[in-house]
Amino acid sequence: MTRARLPLLLALTAALALALTGRYAVMQLPPGLWPALPLDADGMSVDQILLAFGTLPRGVIALLAGAALGLSGALLQIVLRNPVADPTTLGISSGAQLALVLATILAPDLLALGRWPIALSGAGLATALVLAVGARRAFAPVTMVITGMLVGMTASAIATAVTLSQGQYLLSLVIWNGGSLVQQDWSGVATLALLLAVGALAAALLARPLRVLSLGIAGAAGLGVNVAAVRLAAVCVAVVLAAGVSAELGLIGFVGLAAPALARTLGARTIPQRLALSPLIGALILSLCDGLVLTLAGAGGEMFPTGALTGLIGGPLLIWLLPRLRGSTPPGTEAAEGPAPRLSRPLPLLGALVAALVVLALVLVWIGRVPGGWAILDAQSFADFLPMRLPRLIAAAAAGAALALAGAVLQRLTANPLASPEVLGVSGGASLGFAAVIYLVTGPGAALLYGGTIAGGVVALLLVALYVLRRDMPTERILLAGIAVSAFASAVLSAIMAAGDAKSWVILAWLSGSSAAVTLPGALGLGAVALALWLAALGGRRWLALLPLGTGVAGALGLPLRLARLLLIVLAGIATGAATILVGPLSFVGLMAPHMARRLGLARPEHHLSGAALIGALLMLTADFGARMAGFPYELPLGLFASLIGAPWLLWLLMRSK
Amino acid sequence: MTLFSLNNLTVDVPGRRLLHEVSLNLPAGRMIALIGHNGSGKSTLLKALARQIPATGDIRFEDRPLPDWSARDYARRLAFLPQTTPPAEGMLVRELVALGRYPWHGALGRFGPQDEAAVAGAMQECGVTRFADRLVDTLSGGERQRVWLAMMVAQQASTLLLDEPISALDIAHAVEVLQLVRHMCHSQNRSAVIVLHDVNMAARYCDHIVALKGGRVALQGTPDDLMTPAALHDIYALQMEILARPDGSQVAVPA
Repeated sequence: MTRARLPLLLALTAALALALTGRYAVMQLPPGLWPALPLDADGMSVDQILLAFGTLPRGVIALLAGAALGLSGALLQIVLRNPVADPTTLGISSGAQLALVLATILAPDLLALGRWPIALSGAGLATALVLAVGARRAFAPVTMVITGMLVGMTASAIATAVTLSQGQYLLSLVIWNGGSLVQQDWSGVATLALLLAVGALAAALLARPLRVLSLGIAGAAGLGVNVAAVRLAAVCVAVVLAAGVSAELGLIGFVGLAAPALARTLGARTIPQRLALSPLIGALILSLCDGLVLTLAGAGGEMFPTGALTGLIGGPLLIWLLPRLRGSTPPGTEAAEGPAPRLSRPLPLLGALVAALVVLALVLVWIGRVPGGWAILDAQSFADFLPMRLPRLIAAAAAGAALALAGAVLQRLTANPLASPEVLGVSGGASLGFAAVIYLVTGPGAALLYGGTIAGGVVALLLVALYVLRRDMPTERILLAGIAVSAFASAVLSAIMAAGDAKSWVILAWLSGSSAAVTLPGALGLGAVALALWLAALGGRRWLALLPLGTGVAGALGLPLRLARLLLIVLAGIATGAATILVGPLSFVGLMAPHMARRLGLARPEHHLSGAALIGALLMLTADFGARMAGFPYELPLGLFASLIGAPWLLWLLMRSK
Repeated sequence: MTLFSLNNLTVDVPGRRLLHEVSLNLPAGRMIALIGHNGSGKSTLLKALARQIPATGDIRFEDRPLPDWSARDYARRLAFLPQTTPPAEGMLVRELVALGRYPWHGALGRFGPQDEAAVAGAMQECGVTRFADRLVDTLSGGERQRVWLAMMVAQQASTLLLDEPISALDIAHAVEVLQLVRHMCHSQNRSAVIVLHDVNMAARYCDHIVALKGGRVALQGTPDDLMTPAALHDIYALQMEILARPDGSQVAVPA
């Protein structure tokens, strides 16, 4: 792209965005009837008021919010030296969203102070968490994104559960979550304009120190820059900008990712250029997206929020950006913690785990909660209850084992301890498949729903597998491809949710996972799948021993790299898809179980895999019991309960120093 | 006999050509040093020989074109050690050495008495038998490098490719590793191609020198051919002086 063409391109895009929004305004009211300046609601017709205090501020706020997000993304990418950093991928926006959902439900009075402080504290907390984890790993780009996505997914899962528990009352919140740009007056415009002005000033002041910082920490410190202060300031500005947009408009994903990426592609090379061009491009992107939404909506009101449309850009954009990520982290530098112990005789431990599993299963069948206390079943009740409890126990244990196997395989394959089934994209695809069946078929049966879920998972898996087959791709980036698929799926889902009819509640409920409806054949089938996966993983144990040593060593020993990667990814994908049907897309068991197995001293692949599967089964049984008992007589969603156990443990693990 | 014969070997990365139509014959049964300035393409050449990176042009290994070799057959004949050896998390020394048997038993084959013997012999040869039950990551740099060499020996490949195997070692361990490789070559009739930074080490321990400059071959010959002020100036663009030691060997120092 030459320099002369750049202004032309920007002008054309601006004209297009203006034309789309303008067309909507003209359809709403012929230009001859437009209200005169200054705008005064008294003496206007209803149509004039709609235009002056609805459409016009909406057009302006799209520009302002886009610019704020573009600037936020540019700052984050520069300060973290990470081309895939943005408020969405780092979990900042989800943090703000969760804080607002919680405040709306638990402490509505707080909202009287305005949404800003709440959104800001949520965003700040999420960012602090992600940065704390990142700081322990030298802000390695891939780790940052995986951590950010995990934090974001957890925040969204909690927000979903809370929304679910409150029924229809929060439907407007769901729509807000989707990022709607609907405006009622000019106050939002005024706030965001102020925010953007302050942000722009701060960015201008930071431009020069950031330029020195781009030499790296040691180099910048050697030149006398206070590295910590500059970093903190830049991240704070970025967080405030993103949280402000979240507070005003909700979740508008990936504009902060797209704008700086486009700015660089269009030739912005220096940091001042990138900081100047990114907000401009961000404004145009969001304006264009909103124009499209308005055009599709026609005069009848919008069908889906603008944030859902920008989310659709995110997946493909990440895929496009991935090969451009510079350099790869050598294996081992992303190690989570110090050396784990190693047992010289692992078999007794594995035996103990099997025994624990059997005992736990028996206990869980035998005891239960009754109104007013706990009860141990007598022989008669045991016989009565067994057919009801057995299927879900089997299913929960099998799902836990399958997820743990998937996690262990992925962590060994990528040599990255943060790899987990959640970021493989299979769950996202499966959710989309489920949603598609719910929407396209009236009153679908269980078989059809299973079929749709599996089909969705398989399509996502194929997308990731296509990526795996690229020869020059470092293994860890496979994870990012999975994340891209997940991002795409969640964007589509939030668009569906925003429609807000009864069907979306079915999906919402499924997303949080439940084992209540499992039949015995279904449970046995899942158990057979888990067993088969375990055997298959054992068959690949030599690959799984070699792959953590990196592609250089593994390739030199004659390991068929592509084939091994493809088969292992497919294995993990099948395991994830099978379990997702039962526990929903998020549980963290696949992340936790392999770590626990390793910390217990299981080092060889075959022991590690078997131990992880057993621990996964134990964890999921416990989660199932907890989900049944914690809210007795009501049941909590299984997947959600598992993630509530898993997320704190995970964070503790990540925060441990090396 | 020729180990490798290269014809018009070219390696490109976006925006830059790392190797320019290199044509070269490498003799078998020798310890060959690849030297050159930073960015001269020596590591690139080694990786192309190890089939770690794609290259255009013709490479023949033992008179067979590289694409005709299956991954496993190639790994049975040739072992490659990358410049930075990865951490072997939770792995014992004998397990790491046993990984060298992968080209022989494959993903599912039995780990039989032959494999046992090869692993024991490799640990013996590299002097790491007494570490057999230690964790690899607890060893010192020199010991760890010997363990990785043992893995290559267990591979029973007749050709070893080593990418700067001594760059992270102190002088004592560097000498130890090079002596070990030299012994492996000369007593077992193996061939080795080693990327080295130190001209004196290359001249002292290797039989054959290939020097690269800017992605092209600058010199090929014996250590004596290398150890002249003119040749060294040609390779490094630096005035060097050659000092003779009492035993007749030569040392190059910057003039």
